[in-house]
This record gives sequence, C-alpha cells and structure tokens, in this order.
Amino acid sequence: MGKVTGFMDFPRVAAENVPPAERVKNYKEFVLHLSDEEAKTQGARCMDCGIPFCNNGCPVNNIIPDWNDLVFQQNWKQAIEVLHSTNNFPEFTGRICPAPCEAACTLNINDDPVGIKSIEHAIIDKAWENNWVIPQPPKNKTGKKIAIVGSGPAGMAAAQQLARVGHDVVVLEKNDRIGGLLRYGIPDFKMEKSHIDRRVTQMEAEGVVFKTNQNVGENVDPEQLIHDYDSVILAGGAEWPRDLPVPGRELDGVHFAMDFLPNQNKIVAGDVIKDQITATGKNVVVIGGGDTGSDCVGTSNRHGAASVYQFELMPQPPEKEIKSLVWPYWPLKMRTSSSHEEGCERDWSVATKSFIGENGKVKELVAARVEWKDGKMQEVPNSEFTMKADLVLLAMGFISPQQTILDKFGIDKDARGNAKAETEGENSYTTSRSKVFAAGDMRRGQSLVVWAIREGRQCARSVDEFLMGSSSLPR
Amino acid sequence: MAQLIHDLKNANPSASISVKLVSETGVGTVAAGVAKAKSDHIVIAGHDGGTGASPLSSIKHAGTPWEIGLAETQQTLVLNQLRGRVILQVDGQMKTGRDVVVGALLGADEFGFATAPLVVEGCIMMRKCHLNTCPVGIATQDPELRKRFNGQPEHVVNFFFFIAEEIREIMASLGMKKFNDLIGRSDLLDMQQGIDHWKIQGLDFSRIFYQPDMGPDVSRYNVEKQYHGLDKALDNEIIKKAMPSIEKKESTTFDIPITNTNRTVGTMLSHEIAKRYGNDGLPDNTISVKLEGTAGQSFGAFLAKGITFNLHGEGNDYVGKGLCGGHIIIRPPQHFKGIEEKNIIVGNTVMYGATSGESYFRGIAGERFCVRNSGASAVVEGVGNHGCEYMTGGTVAVLGETGQNFAAGMSGGVAYIYDPEGTFSQSCNPSMVTLEKVAKENVQPKGAKHLNLSDETILKQLIVNHHKYTDSSIAIDILNNWDTAIGNFVKVMPIEYKRALNELHAATIKEVA
Repeated sequence: MGKVTGFMDFPRVAAENVPPAERVKNYKEFVLHLSDEEAKTQGARCMDCGIPFCNNGCPVNNIIPDWNDLVFQQNWKQAIEVLHSTNNFPEFTGRICPAPCEAACTLNINDDPVGIKSIEHAIIDKAWENNWVIPQPPKNKTGKKIAIVGSGPAGMAAAQQLARVGHDVVVLEKNDRIGGLLRYGIPDFKMEKSHIDRRVTQMEAEGVVFKTNQNVGENVDPEQLIHDYDSVILAGGAEWPRDLPVPGRELDGVHFAMDFLPNQNKIVAGDVIKDQITATGKNVVVIGGGDTGSDCVGTSNRHGAASVYQFELMPQPPEKEIKSLVWPYWPLKMRTSSSHEEGCERDWSVATKSFIGENGKVKELVAARVEWKDGKMQEVPNSEFTMKADLVLLAMGFISPQQTILDKFGIDKDARGNAKAETEGENSYTTSRSKVFAAGDMRRGQSLVVWAIREGRQCARSVDEFLMGSSSLPR
Repeated sequence: MAQLIHDLKNANPSASISVKLVSETGVGTVAAGVAKAKSDHIVIAGHDGGTGASPLSSIKHAGTPWEIGLAETQQTLVLNQLRGRVILQVDGQMKTGRDVVVGALLGADEFGFATAPLVVEGCIMMRKCHLNTCPVGIATQDPELRKRFNGQPEHVVNFFFFIAEEIREIMASLGMKKFNDLIGRSDLLDMQQGIDHWKIQGLDFSRIFYQPDMGPDVSRYNVEKQYHGLDKALDNEIIKKAMPSIEKKESTTFDIPITNTNRTVGTMLSHEIAKRYGNDGLPDNTISVKLEGTAGQSFGAFLAKGITFNLHGEGNDYVGKGLCGGHIIIRPPQHFKGIEEKNIIVGNTVMYGATSGESYFRGIAGERFCVRNSGASAVVEGVGNHGCEYMTGGTVAVLGETGQNFAAGMSGGVAYIYDPEGTFSQSCNPSMVTLEKVAKENVQPKGAKHLNLSDETILKQLIVNHHKYTDSSIAIDILNNWDTAIGNFVKVMPIEYKRALNELHAATIKEVA
C-alpha cells in the first residue's frame, strides 16, 4: 500500500521456523517473527486493492490494509492501535489462526497472498516488547455485575470488552487455569501459555475477576448465578468429542485427544501428573485429519513415539484449489501442518472398523478403505487391513457443547445441540432465557479462536446494550 | 460546440462524432443543442459508472441514474423532432439484458458496456488503472503484469451471448419482433408492484414514462444521418489541386481565395495526408497554399506536416488549433494601411492544443494564445489575456505586449517575451513559472537546454523566420539591434520543466560517466 509496486518487487516471505529436528526436542514455540525489515517489505506487498476482501475474510474484520501500511512506514505504535481496535488478542490469532484473511487476499487470486498473519504476529510481539499493551481500566463504573462462564477466547474477549466499559466482570473457569482450549487444547509448541498469563494480568488490572475451579452446573448453581448477576454469558466452548463406537473402543490405549493433550500442557506448566497418557516408544494412530489431530501428532513426536500414523475418513484433497471457483473463501486443499513436517504418515479415505487388544490393552487397529459416491460413504470390498497400534487418539471433532450445562440453565438449543441465539438483530446473542447470553463455540459449535473472539466482542456489545440501553462498544 | 463538431468531422469525415453527456436534470435541453450542433451520436452517461482511474468524487457525486437522463433526453429530442437525426447511446453500469431493454424502452439505440466485460476478462476492480500496477494485467503495459492476464475473447463473446439471449427472451415476452420497435416505448414500462417499503411511497415514475404526443411522422429512434455540409467545404478544391502531393509526394503550389464562411480549412486535406502517411505527414512545404482574404473559424486546424498556409488577410478564432506539423503564416493584406504590430491579426484560442508545427503572425493575437500547446512554435507580436495557459511544450515568442495571467498552469515549453518597458512581470502569473533573462549563447550556463539549443539560437531563428515570412518591421528592428534587444527579452521558464530538464541532464552525465 505504501509502495504501489510492492507486490511485484517482493516475494512472500513467511516467518522463519526452527527446523523440525530441533524443535521436537522441546515444547517451545518454533515460529520466529519477522524482522522489522522483512515486515516492512511484506507490508509493502499489500496492494491497496479497491475492495479489501481480507477485511471481511477476517472474522473480527481486522483493518488489515491499514496496519500493513503502518508497518511499511514502520509506525508500529499506531499499527498495534489499529490492530487492537478490532482484535483483543492478536498474540493468539497471530500464532494459531489459519488466516482466512490470506485466503481472501486480493493478491491470492493470481499470486501468493500478503503474509498478513506473520505481520500481525510481528506487530503484537513488538507491542509487548515495548510495553505498549497496557491495561485500559474504565473511567467510570456502572455497578452492573456480569458472570461469564468459560475463560476461552470468547469469554476473555467478552470480559475485556465489558470491563473496559465499566462493568464488574467475573469469569468462571472449571479448570485450574484460565484460557479454556487455548490453555489445555492447544499445545505449547503452537502457543506458549505465558501469552495467556500476561493477558490475564492486563485484564485483572482492568477490573476482571477470574475464578478457577468453578464448574457451573456442578459446584456452582446456575440459578444462583442468574440471581446474583445482572447478566450471564455462556462461553463454555463445544467440548463434547465425537466418539468412535466400534468394537474394542473400551480398550486401554484408546483415548480422546482431549484426554491426551491437556496433560502435556499441565506438565509443561510444571504440574505433576500421575498416569499421564504418553506416546513414548509407542505406535501411535491418530484418527481424524484436522487441527486437533495435528496437535496429537506433534505432541506424540515430542514424546518420542515409535511411529505416528494419521487417518482421515474423507478423500485426500487436491494440492491446489481452483481459485476462480473458491476465492475469496476458504479453500479445501491439501494442507501440511507444522506437526506433519515433524514426521507422520498420513492416509485418507480410511475408516476404522475395530480395535484388537491383549490383556485389555489395544494392540492393533482394523481399518478399511472407503469411497465417497454421491456424498455417501461406501466401503471398498476386500480393502481391510490391520496395523499395530499401542496408542489410538480420537480427534474427530466435537459434536456440540456439553449438554448438561445448557440443560441446567434450561435454555433452548438449536438442531445441532448448541445454545440457540441469533447473531444479528436486536436480541443478538441472547438465549431463550432473559439475562442469559451465549457466545463462541457454545453458540456456534466448534470453530476457530478468531470466531470466538468475534462472538465474544459482539456478545459484549449486546450485553452492554441490554444493561445500559445503548453501547459504545464496536460490533 | 457546433464548431468543435465541425472540426472533428473534417478531421475524419468517415467517423461519427459522439458527444457524451452526464445524466442530470436539464440534460435533455443540452442534448437538443448537441443534436442541432450536428453531433452524430449522443451518449447519456449514468452516475453508476466510472473507470478505475476516475477520481472517487466523480464516481460518487456526479450525475443521476441513466434512466432519468435518458428519459428526459428522449422526450426533449422527440418533442423537437430531432430524435431521428442522432444515435442515442446510454451507459453507466450496464450489466444485464434487462438493463438493455429498459434502456431501449426509455429511448436508447445503443448501449455502452464497460465494467461488466472487463470483469468477464478478469478485472477485479482494484481502481489502479492509472498506476500501471494492474495485478490482473488489464490496465497495464508492464510485460510481467500482462503475463497474469488470463481473459479470453471467448469469455466476452459468451457474456454478450447471454445478454443477447436475455434481451431476446424479454422481447419475446413483450411480443416484439424488432429491436427498433422497442425504442422509446416507455408505455411498456411499469413500476414493480408489491414492494412494501416506506421509501417507495414518494416515488412517481409517470414523468419518466411520459411519451410526447407527436404524430407518427416524428421518429422515436435513429433513422437518418446528420448533414455536415462537408460537400461545400473549400478543402474539396484544395484537395483536388494538391492531389499530386497527396498521392505522389510531388510539391504543389497554388493560390486560392478564402472568405469567413470557409470554416475549418485545411483539415480535410490533413485528413487525406494522415490517412496515407500517418503522423509523419509529408516533407515540409510539399503543399504550399497562398490564400487571400478573411479566414473563417478554425483556419488550419489539425494542419498536417508538409502543408504551408500563407494567408494574406486575417484569421479568426481557433487558427492552428491542434496544429500537428503544418506551417501557418498570416500577415495583413497587401493594401493594409495601418500599423501591423498595433492591430489584431488573429482571434481567440489560436494554436489551442497544437502538438507540432510552426506559425508566424504579423500582428496581435486575441486571448488564450497557445493554450495547451505541447510542442509547436509560434511567433506573434502581442497577445491578449491567458496566453500560454496550461502549456506543456513548444516555444512561443511574443514580440509585443501580453495580457494578464500569462503562463497560468504552464508546466512545459518556453516563452520568450520582448519586454523593453520592463512591465511583463506584472501580467505574468508566477505560480508555476520563473522569469529569467535571455543570456547570450557564449554566457549561457552549461546544463540542460530547451530543445538542446541555446536560448539565443532558438529565439534568433524564430525571429529570422518571422521576418522572412512576414516582413515584420519589429523583427528587423530587433535583429538589427540584436545585442541590445536580447537583453530586453524575458524567458518564461516553468519550474517543473526546469526540474525535469535538470534531472534528464544529470542522468545523461551519469550515463556518460
């Protein structure tokens, strides 16, 4: 934008990574951020296109062309201000967002898109380094009390927005640490947890009260919450994992990904865990080809697994999408994550049929190839095979929020079992019960961190409007 | 307007002359005037359009929807029985067959599609057409960017097949066999019913759908051609006499009388030359025409290289407009008894937009002399207000007084003003130019030079020519006292031009080193 020919002059350069052989030795982040000079030239690649699709490709509507230009001018201070104006936590998204903005980049039509994510990463790292991220406590308090159930990105975003306009916000977390899936779902090597801690410190200075070990519906009474607070936001995520009810599922060694991943994060944080599920020296099979599966692969490799396989039910996607058909939307294409680079065999169109065990422990896995015809899955005859498996991790997505909490609040659910609430209109984010709002995965089903932040922000505005009659918060 | 259209028609008699009007209230009256001024073609441009290079203010704030302007134009032209003479085109975000049919029903013969076919070819509306950075290789000459262009003619053809198909379907539903039957049938239009919105309450389309009550003899679409009167032009005779030059490049010399009803003389002749030899024209003085009398407007407009017009008499407005290589000499008639340098010899807007060529005027010119000149040279013995306004190139020598606002917006070329009284600085607009002394050749500082020649050489040559062609007494006086006279000249130097010359010079030095 600052340089009209930037996209012709400079190639896309991604932030450098620590080589796989090095990084699997520890749980540290391995994506290094761009140097100032690199960030400048990457920012110069932005074309100031007439209609910046990135702006709407981004769920939080980051004002991307503006901060690209500011980075080109090396005006980092203003860049973080613009970035923070739409995104509460760029340090999260700059690390773990799949960057739908880059898919929507106009340059992506016939060239490599602008490295938006790496620029975002550089901006927020620079801002923390220079102490530009400081608490913004409200000038006046409203005296309104809000309880937020769940401290994931949706809950945190809503909490920060509401605290900054003067409400007394209490965030209730069922686990022992704040962050939800950011804390216990995403491995440290993708995002170190100190990022959450310093946000929590900032937000506490802004007036947010965080309470851990508060399992609403178990040791906290929903009715009491509704009684004690002026409004309640349900932002508890979609944590009900999809199961694989095949023979042998009950065997020891067949686990949900979310039984496997959190423990490692706790150990990195310094906790002592008895009976940790480890992959050390084992033949690991990860079932499910998504991001959670990838995280299982990366963690297994760091444990020192003997072998790691990953199966996906759907067929292998094409290497390249047909841009004229999908741009500016998120394309279905072959993606190799950083965890795959660290060592993993992948296979597609594979359905697991049963697990075979010995002494109650899983030893083998029986699978078959499948074909997809007219949207229906068919087993390929005589394609059954078995393979060694000492640890099977189920990472096949999440069905919906845990139903018990929604039932205990007595709110309506949509057809997919999520808390029912609209995102547009006068009563956006309100559930069927007065004073009770829902945002994030609990409302929309499993999704991205960046969508959670969007919902948290928008829900905060709805709550503010509900409590005060009007709101100065952005939508 | 009529003169402009006549000039253009002379410049290319086989071309249609089109006038594009912004759709807005009152455009009908303007269009009627344009039709009377003999435009072949009128375009009504709606407010939705605009290229990627046009300023946002124009895109957002200019004009009204084309439907409104078109309806008004059609009604006015039909009422004044002018509609049959012109082709009426409408444009401004035409995208569908429905747009075309609505346009036809409101009175258009033709339809301008621009954005939609560009998008079909791959345009992504970056609005960067003017920066040579079009990332899909459309609005650029950069070979690297053009590699990215992946549009195909077939895509555009296919797009228009769809448009035509939709038009055909709508015509069939209206029971129309021929497209011409559709034109001006606004009675077939109606407001869409059943839209329940408060904003619709104030809408009344009856005046857009109105059809003037004229008899069946009054055409509602284009049926005839404008009569431009080219068959009566003096050029027909000149062309006939100059045929050996035009066809065989032989030199011809002849005399011809002229009167002020002979407008735009020399332009059709230039067209004949340009048709055969392009912008190169013929060698200088191949066709030498001596004319006698008072010329009409646009004497020697667009005069091509190789033609010399030597007029004893006087010029009118627009002498040498768009001059492109020809020579024009105008001096008073032989029986003239006044003092030549005190009398007006040519009118206003002389040498407007000239690109190359030479002219010598033995007397004073009117206002706006050499406006937008970009490369021709001219000698004159005085000018009115606004001389050399917006000039971007060429050389002008004024051997007498100038009017106010000289050199306003002048960004290129050089003007030399003979200023023995030292009053010129008061009439010059200094916003974009500096005034300098004209140095003798041996003392002119080294560095970049206008036309790569010293000021003295350029100026002296112009004055020598002026004397040679016009017998100017001022010229001979100046030449006879050259060493003192040169000190009385002021050089008008545009700041931007000087900067460009210096940069060019610095670059050449660097290259040599």
